[in-house]
Amino acid sequence: MRKRTRYKPEVKRNQTFTLNVTSMTDMFTILLVFLLQTYSSSVVEIDPVQGLRLPTSNTEKNPVDGIKISISPTELKFDKRTIASVQNNTIDQAAIDPNDSEFIKPLFDELQKINEAHKLTPDIKIGKVLFQADQDVPYGTLRKIMYTASMAGFPNLKLITVVGN
Amino acid sequence: MAGRYKPKINHNSEFELDLAPLLAVMVKLVPVLLVSSAFVQMMIIETELPQVVQQAIEKQETNPKAAQVAVEINKKDGVRIIVTQDGQQRVEIVGLNANQQVDMPTLHAKFQEVKKSHPEVFKIEMNPDADVPYKEIVRVMDEARKSRSADVRFPVKNEKTGQDTSTEYMFPEIVFANMMDG
Repeated sequence: MRKRTRYKPEVKRNQTFTLNVTSMTDMFTILLVFLLQTYSSSVVEIDPVQGLRLPTSNTEKNPVDGIKISISPTELKFDKRTIASVQNNTIDQAAIDPNDSEFIKPLFDELQKINEAHKLTPDIKIGKVLFQADQDVPYGTLRKIMYTASMAGFPNLKLITVVGN
Repeated sequence: MAGRYKPKINHNSEFELDLAPLLAVMVKLVPVLLVSSAFVQMMIIETELPQVVQQAIEKQETNPKAAQVAVEINKKDGVRIIVTQDGQQRVEIVGLNANQQVDMPTLHAKFQEVKKSHPEVFKIEMNPDADVPYKEIVRVMDEARKSRSADVRFPVKNEKTGQDTSTEYMFPEIVFANMMDG
């Protein structure tokens, strides 16, 4: 009886092949054009705060440099530091001055530090606040921040919004 | 006589373009742009005003007889536009629509009316109630800032040249007047 042999496909060891990259180049070209279009030319970098939904506006002004204050549904931040907690869109009572219900003491202290730091270099432009607030925060809460900022010598408030109609 | 040399050209020959260097550039560029791109575009509310408008605002501030326009926002009743001139007050009310939100097209039309009757005014005093959400305030500010229609423009005088010109800006200067009220 003839012994059965296992089938071995013929493989050419030195074979070369060319990879067709045309479709990949097409995809990259489209991606590149899209990314170049969305590339932001703004000098000022604004980091969106987690959990904060900005309101939409049709304004066309690019952000300018300034002190960054944000209020989300959970916290009030000065730059990237949390300075007071927020509950039900209301700033924690511990941060409010007992003699003035509109005055946020930790925020005022932080702004005063900026003022002190800029005393030595008075030519540096200060007084501008880049303000990010959640769209559902009531005006009563925003007013406290505006009031404190203006008391500390920062009356120029820039409201940050998302582009839309 | 020897014939002129003609190189043999095969017109049906095909060649393959080497896309590898192009691909190499793209592979480097795409991640760089992906990392540095801002997909959510953020802007600030503060209009870059034309010089003529800026001059008109300055003129309004020095003119004590100029009309005062105040806007009150109330969650229950909507928006009240109060125009005060020479001790006389005129109040325009824009109520809420069926969705219990301020009727923005009507509000915009009211702002246009006020602007037409007082073209010298560029500043409004905003007085929202404490319970009005921030997004509603921003929407009202949007309606007041600029005319949405390109056909509706408002006269403004160029203080330097003395010429009459027009602008689409209505009330770009917004002051929160009740900020200190507490």
